[in-house]
Amino acid sequence: MVGWNRFHRLAALLLMVLGLGACQEFDRSDVLRIGLAEEPRTLNVWLAGDVNSRKVLSLIYQPLYVYDPETMDLVPWLAAAMPEYDPRTLSYTVRLRPARWSDGTPFTSQDVAFTAHLIQTFKVPRYASSWSFIDRVQTPDPHTVIFYLQQPMATFLTGTMVTPIVQHKEWSVIAEQAQATEKPLTALLNHRMQHPVGTGPFTLEQWRKGAFVHLKRNPHFFGTGQTINGQVLGPFFEELVYSVFGTSDVAILALKKGSIDMFWWHVQPGYMDDLDRHERIQLFTNEKSALYFMGFNLRQPPFNDVVLRRAVAHLIDKDFIVSRVLQGQGGKMFSVVPAENVFWCCTDLPRYGDGMSRESRYSVAYQLLAEAGYTWAVPPLDAAGNLQPAREIRLPDGRPMARFTILTPPADYDPHRAISGLMIQEWLRELGMPAFSRPMAFSSLLQQVKDNHDFDAFILGYGRLRLDPEYVRNLFHSANDQPRGWNMSGYRNPVFDELADRSISEMDPLERRELVFEMQRLIARDLPFIPIYNPHVVEAVRRDRFEGWVEMLEGIGNIWSLCLVKPVARHGT
Amino acid sequence: MGLRRFVLRRLVEIVVIFFVIMTVLFVLFRLAPGDPVARMVDPSMTPEDARLLMESMGLDQPLWTQYLYYLKNVATGNLGISFHYGEPVSRILMNRLPNTILLFTTAIVLSALLGVFLGKIAAWRREERIDTLMTIGALFCNTLFLPWLALIMIWFFAYWVGWFPITGMISPQVWIDPSAGPIRKTLDVLHHMALPLMTLIVTHFGSYLLVMRSSMLDTLKDDYIITARAKGLDEKTIRDHHAAPNAALPVVTSVGLSLAFSINGGALTETVFSWPGIGRELVFSVSHSDYPLAQAAFLLIAIVVLMANLVVDVLYAYLDPRIRY
Repeated sequence: MVGWNRFHRLAALLLMVLGLGACQEFDRSDVLRIGLAEEPRTLNVWLAGDVNSRKVLSLIYQPLYVYDPETMDLVPWLAAAMPEYDPRTLSYTVRLRPARWSDGTPFTSQDVAFTAHLIQTFKVPRYASSWSFIDRVQTPDPHTVIFYLQQPMATFLTGTMVTPIVQHKEWSVIAEQAQATEKPLTALLNHRMQHPVGTGPFTLEQWRKGAFVHLKRNPHFFGTGQTINGQVLGPFFEELVYSVFGTSDVAILALKKGSIDMFWWHVQPGYMDDLDRHERIQLFTNEKSALYFMGFNLRQPPFNDVVLRRAVAHLIDKDFIVSRVLQGQGGKMFSVVPAENVFWCCTDLPRYGDGMSRESRYSVAYQLLAEAGYTWAVPPLDAAGNLQPAREIRLPDGRPMARFTILTPPADYDPHRAISGLMIQEWLRELGMPAFSRPMAFSSLLQQVKDNHDFDAFILGYGRLRLDPEYVRNLFHSANDQPRGWNMSGYRNPVFDELADRSISEMDPLERRELVFEMQRLIARDLPFIPIYNPHVVEAVRRDRFEGWVEMLEGIGNIWSLCLVKPVARHGT
Repeated sequence: MGLRRFVLRRLVEIVVIFFVIMTVLFVLFRLAPGDPVARMVDPSMTPEDARLLMESMGLDQPLWTQYLYYLKNVATGNLGISFHYGEPVSRILMNRLPNTILLFTTAIVLSALLGVFLGKIAAWRREERIDTLMTIGALFCNTLFLPWLALIMIWFFAYWVGWFPITGMISPQVWIDPSAGPIRKTLDVLHHMALPLMTLIVTHFGSYLLVMRSSMLDTLKDDYIITARAKGLDEKTIRDHHAAPNAALPVVTSVGLSLAFSINGGALTETVFSWPGIGRELVFSVSHSDYPLAQAAFLLIAIVVLMANLVVDVLYAYLDPRIRY
């Protein structure tokens, strides 16, 4: 009898726990629920380097300018208009929009000047280089800021002006405390932000570590009801909850079940058919500002020979990689600047092997190498000009080509790059090259390529490049050919260096574009990198919950979407 | 040697071992390829930005200086600041530790209870069909691939049937609701705990069952069981009150050790169920070269295991004086 009573109590408890499932449907139309792949690490805007922290902080702290979703031009955000440039005094004048911080205090030019002062004083990483050339900041009135530059700097608009602005009142106290410590920068970066004050559309309500971040609509948001960039801004919902999911599988199940309204992460091709069939789920496919490429070590044979690099460029079948490896979710790349970065991407570049048949690609590669003095024990083309498996390629000096490796990240880190490495290995082997694709742990790969320069070739990628093409300069300038420098290939070209140095100080965008185009032409000619592909970003949302998502480069997860989406039920009322 | 001297000697040994572990941890992470900054930077950032990041983390200092700082910090109870969270690692770990202990301790205790209960029956009815079924079932469950089982459990019980939340430890809707009281919040945690708990029990109880069965089979051959039967005690009493308590000793030892190791959590379980525990942080910190966090997490595990060993050693020494010499 006692046993039965215990059993009944256990059963009752179990039923009660199960019953919670039925009573916990969370479908308030004024709450947007977003799934994240990882938890944000910090709410300190100066420390935040991870993408998930930025997904939260970008809704709290705002810059003076943001990108237009269609044209990708800068549009005034906290600023009231585009800056006025005075070449005589090397200064930019920015007029500010009337705005308030989330604590109700007015946003003024003092806040902008303080942000500049803070970044320069502490040399805040990620931002310091965008502000190092600012000589001084003047605030003639609460709504005007004048930036005086030490020298012309092309990245002022795209780097300096998109920096998040912090509140003088809040951060001056933090900065003062940090300055009093032995390591001021470390103290500033490690300051724990519990209630960040911002000018954005949302404010932090609570952060349950490991579980969720809860934001509420900022009643003082300057954009609410205003027409900015032709759009009347909201937000049109009251609360925003970010939940963390350990794996994509589980997040997709949560989306299908209706536990979240959006999964703010790239949906892998394997899930797409299933989600596409789901009548309540909508997929968005957008371009990325990314670069996935094969790089060479130009410091040593065999890839110190540009002819060999061009032959390899012909052999890489980008159509195959995009259609089979990426399953159609990406585009071919021919420049180190993604084609989607329309203003800066040079389109009149050589497209090695593009549109050629397999036979033609091998034939051209063979001719290039044969003309440069390469020989084979068995050439890739027989006497009749038919393809045959080549064997033992020899360098122009007669030595056999030594075995070389193509380093890639492992398949569990990035299957696309790992499989691309294997495919390239096979294509090169068909031409008699002793190529070996070698996946290795990402950290090891970076150390071998970037720190030690101990490699032959590698496949890497950058998933979130800034739109400003300054990175082209960083990647190939000879000054960066040093351990831990960005010039991993060891590309050294004085003409390129001169163009790159001029491009950074050219204030006329059209003139600068010409210089950047010329830099891209040099890279496409010399091929320290072979750009391969730019994957699409595919995101999934519940179509029965919210609508009005704004698509732009990098997807629908952006400030415009979160200021414009409306609950489906309320739309039109 | 007296018990006090024995304990003192063990304490000194533990301090030496702890120092060795600290040093090995420090060296191991520095020897591992890659540096913490490498994954934080992209070509849009200048080399100056990367240098400033290194400086802010103290990685610009020579290794021996970093080591001395590390020793000084640990000696003063300061485990350092996480590179990624920008928070003291002790705070991060203390935030995660209760979650891990709650899930894994409960799972180990329930698995052991189930294993002992079923192992007892299997041994008692040895070579019958139920014994075969239980033994094969235990072996099968014990070898299940945990992430696969976890996903199947989520798909069936959370997505298809809808009895449980899909993942996580708490529901935002409950915890942001100002009217939700402690009872509702506790039930919410239990509700979220059910699936990972079931998964862990399914994969863990088998080993306890097999240990209990084996131990019980040995015990049943002992003289006092024959004596109990000769006294005319009923079979249930012999099984539950004479054989089982003695046979359960190896299981208790196993549970004790499992409990000590449970603080490292189960990275796979915590990842699939989005359970915010130590295991997930351990994986994150190692994969992102967050040295202070990784070192502190491993040190915490080392301390608990060393302490558990000390307790066991002292208990043994107390119970069996021969061990002290």
